Amino acid sequence: MSIVYRALKTVIGFYVNIRDRITPGWSQKNSSRVREWELMAYAFSRSKIGVLGGSMVFITVILAIIGPIISWEPYWVYKTITDPNFMYLSPCLPPGCSAKPILGTDEWGRDIVAMSLYGFRISFVISVVVVFFGSIIGIVLGLVSGYKGGVIDEIIMRLTDIFMAFPGLILAIAFAAVLPSRIRGFLGENIWLKNILSATFGLRPQEYPQLAALLSVWIAMVVVWWPGYTRVIRGTVLSVREQPFIEAAKLCGLSTWRILVKHILPNVLSPVIVMVTFDMATATLFAASLSFLGLGPQEPVPELGYMISKAGRYFPERSLHVVSYLGFILLFIALGWNLLGDALRDVLDPRTRRALEFREEKV
Amino acid sequence: MESNTRDRVVLNDNEVLRVEGLEVKFYTYAGVVHAVSNVSFFVRESETVALVGETGCGKTITTRAITKLIESPGRVESGIALFRRRNRQVVDLLKLSDEEIRKIRGDEIAYIFQDPSAALDPLYTVGYHFVETVKNHRNNINKKNIIQLAIKLLREVAIPSPEVRVKNYPHELSGGMKQRSVIAISLSNMPKLLIADEPTTNLDVTIQAQILELLYELQKKYGMSMILITHNLGVVAETANRVYVMYAGKIVEEGVCETIFYSSTHPYTQLLLRAVPNPLKKVEKLESIPGTVPSLINPPPGCRFHPRCPFAMDICRKEEPPKIKIGNDHYVFCWLYVKK
Amino acid sequence: MGLTHYLARRLVTFIPTLIGVLFITYIIAYAIPADPVRAWVGEKLLNREALEMVRKKYKFDAPWYEQFSFFVQQLLTGQLEDPIKYRNVFSEIFFRFSITVELAIISFLFLIAIGIPLGILAAMKKDSLIDFFVRIFALIGSSLPSFVLYYFLILALFVYFRTTSLAGIPLPTQGCTSYISSIPNQIPILGHIVSAIGSVPMFGAMMCGEWSIVTETFRRLYLPALALALLNGGFIARLVRNSILDVMGAEFILYAKARGLTKLKVWGHALKNAMIPIVTVLGLNFGGLLSGAVIAENVFNIPGIGKYMYDSITRLNFPVIIASTFLVALIYLVVNFVVDIIYAAIDPRIRY
Repeated sequence: MSIVYRALKTVIGFYVNIRDRITPGWSQKNSSRVREWELMAYAFSRSKIGVLGGSMVFITVILAIIGPIISWEPYWVYKTITDPNFMYLSPCLPPGCSAKPILGTDEWGRDIVAMSLYGFRISFVISVVVVFFGSIIGIVLGLVSGYKGGVIDEIIMRLTDIFMAFPGLILAIAFAAVLPSRIRGFLGENIWLKNILSATFGLRPQEYPQLAALLSVWIAMVVVWWPGYTRVIRGTVLSVREQPFIEAAKLCGLSTWRILVKHILPNVLSPVIVMVTFDMATATLFAASLSFLGLGPQEPVPELGYMISKAGRYFPERSLHVVSYLGFILLFIALGWNLLGDALRDVLDPRTRRALEFREEKV
Repeated sequence: MESNTRDRVVLNDNEVLRVEGLEVKFYTYAGVVHAVSNVSFFVRESETVALVGETGCGKTITTRAITKLIESPGRVESGIALFRRRNRQVVDLLKLSDEEIRKIRGDEIAYIFQDPSAALDPLYTVGYHFVETVKNHRNNINKKNIIQLAIKLLREVAIPSPEVRVKNYPHELSGGMKQRSVIAISLSNMPKLLIADEPTTNLDVTIQAQILELLYELQKKYGMSMILITHNLGVVAETANRVYVMYAGKIVEEGVCETIFYSSTHPYTQLLLRAVPNPLKKVEKLESIPGTVPSLINPPPGCRFHPRCPFAMDICRKEEPPKIKIGNDHYVFCWLYVKK
Repeated sequence: MGLTHYLARRLVTFIPTLIGVLFITYIIAYAIPADPVRAWVGEKLLNREALEMVRKKYKFDAPWYEQFSFFVQQLLTGQLEDPIKYRNVFSEIFFRFSITVELAIISFLFLIAIGIPLGILAAMKKDSLIDFFVRIFALIGSSLPSFVLYYFLILALFVYFRTTSLAGIPLPTQGCTSYISSIPNQIPILGHIVSAIGSVPMFGAMMCGEWSIVTETFRRLYLPALALALLNGGFIARLVRNSILDVMGAEFILYAKARGLTKLKVWGHALKNAMIPIVTVLGLNFGGLLSGAVIAENVFNIPGIGKYMYDSITRLNFPVIIASTFLVALIYLVVNFVVDIIYAAIDPRIRY
């Protein structure tokens, strides 16, 4: 555990150095805040769930970045065209068997481990983008709604209600029915956009119709995602707004924007961090579910949910290994984020953190 | 010097409660907190005893410990709490079973807590609280009669239109009204001993005076004994017969009210009194007691006040001071008063 | 009474939200598709005249407010028509919805049976093994992809042990259904309500005393219901646990103990207070179930509204997509409204 603590302390020290270089004397003024961060790092390092979740997330991110690069099989080559025996090959585990592919193949004869490496990238990019945009929109709206109150608050709340009335899957289904054709056309015309987006997802530009499907899924998800944040942020803002230090800030003549950013936002940050972490898990599974239903990218894009749905037809006689392995991958990704989120929630709550603090001082 | 033998503790005729050698510890993450150490006090019939001290000195825990209201990680390690019940029977509260002590709570020993807005269940009316409290201890009274009693008590605690108020929910009452309702509820079974834990701290000063006056009247009327916990010396002067001063989980001085105020002996008591500014005198600087309350996880050896005591001697750092009799009903725990 | 006033207020906010939902559905139906007429007609090749007829009928050439009001009219009167088949889309949708209601109710019962007792147990024995297990249960439940769990449950309880079927849905006899639909003729308002309840196959069968149908329904639906309950049960248990623990730390609980109330009574106070956030979450959960667990219905081959929506996408049946989207959103709004009412009924503070 202390390795984790030392690593986190180095990161904190690094950040403090940079801040000091930008504004000299920063570390002096904020020494208690830095100390608090170090305590959080300590509390986190002592949480087994946190360390486990953190490592799982770390692995997920690394694989997401390098996956398509190190994958030894291209996803666009269907082995079954040349040799139909390759379809749903069973796992071949050493020491009884030593030929590739170790965990078997999918419907098109592709090594599922190699395919999962692409899958990491696709799932990760979708969940990051959705949570990022969803949270930004949600936070901004929540801040404005909570702080300004009045008519603006009412309007934003109505909007939130309206969008929350559409259960995510339903809205995504509706969008997935209507958007892809539009986006396809759009991408066809903007070549450089097409190339950039394809590369981000680890796909070839030729796959752009599937990319259109991916993007419609993404848009549908963002539309569904932001209301959750708005509600939570608005609630926090409402409780923080009444506190005396906000009134003091107003009396000092600070502009609304400054108050929002410098005083309210930091107080709101902790629940947001926790929400975002949990949302990464939710978004990953949600995107996989949409692909499972066939609303996302199709052949040849190796999206995890889609591959599982294809394997469903031959389950369990021929494709048990595909469903098990790819299902496990999804479980791994989601569990990592959930464990991390659980630990972060305990660490960021000052009461539970204090209990761990005492322990450190004795040591 | 009065002996402190624990083997033959006796409840005197005019006493209603006698606590000897109370020891409460909390077993936490951070270590063992010695919240209350070897605390002894007594309360006579119809008298008001004040427990005074800073936040965290153990006064609340002391009063909760005697009716087993302390929950894990807290534990009552040792002590005797002799209580004279209505039927004149004397029991050791700390040795009773859970069921037996539950019967005494709310019936013969009642509590009032500090935060009036939080003591009442927001989902139930004031009247329901009365019904619940009375029915729990007496089977032979029906709901209608209890509501009548409730209205009568609410009127006694100076709540206007009690017939309406008894049907109100807690959020429909003001802070002062809530606290008065809580007092009325706590009195509904005519307890022998009322333990009021900072009953006025969260209220406006004007309401404060009213509540204290009220408590005083009720006490006289019903012949109750009262333990009043507070950190406000003004309140003590108004209402208490005798005072116990606590610090860091121990009693440092005890005596009759006038004695404590005019001839206090313990350095802590004196500093406490000095810290209260005299509204009639012009003050240049507010007095405070330098230093902070020690951590009770590893209490300092010897007298617990020695790190902040201006008169600390060598022996204070090594050994805990014994109980010294200064005068009638006046005792202090301080090495300064031990005759060599 | 404060309650009716509160209800009136909630109703007032209901209306603009409903309009908003209608508008969003309209945008999805008319504005977003690249070629709306094609979308509504489907991928069939039609001659120009037929396309023109559809265009006129559905007001595709009219300004947007005319389109919108036409659209709203169609939806609210439940008369949305499929342009090709000239059939009322809603009748099939309502039938599918009744199946989803069956599944939702059974799932909800399982969920409560698993989640609440576990949660109470975890709260009573805080930091024990049970508490730890509930935490793990919640974490796994929210990390496991639903379809993977479904596949494996099917593997265990259908492939290996034939305990259920994956085809069709038990329905009450023809005689029963005609009897139920005739009830409104005899007793006006109440009859409509009874008939509506009876249109859910399970309840209809109960009303006619056809108990074999009821047991068949359980046999058919218990697996997806169990699966859904396993996925969400941990979360509910954790919620119950935290809610109870939060309340147990409240001052009024201490005061209840100080008044010498029995342990049972103290728990009564705690549970009633703890139930408030739990009821809200459970209500929303039920609302979600009513929207049709699309994946579950798909994998278990249940002809509910979720599967219907999904099928209509793969077959590009636009009117159905729109109509069911609207219906589901409407149901969700209604459920939210009902939850608010229940909340106000329990908690007196809300009414003012």
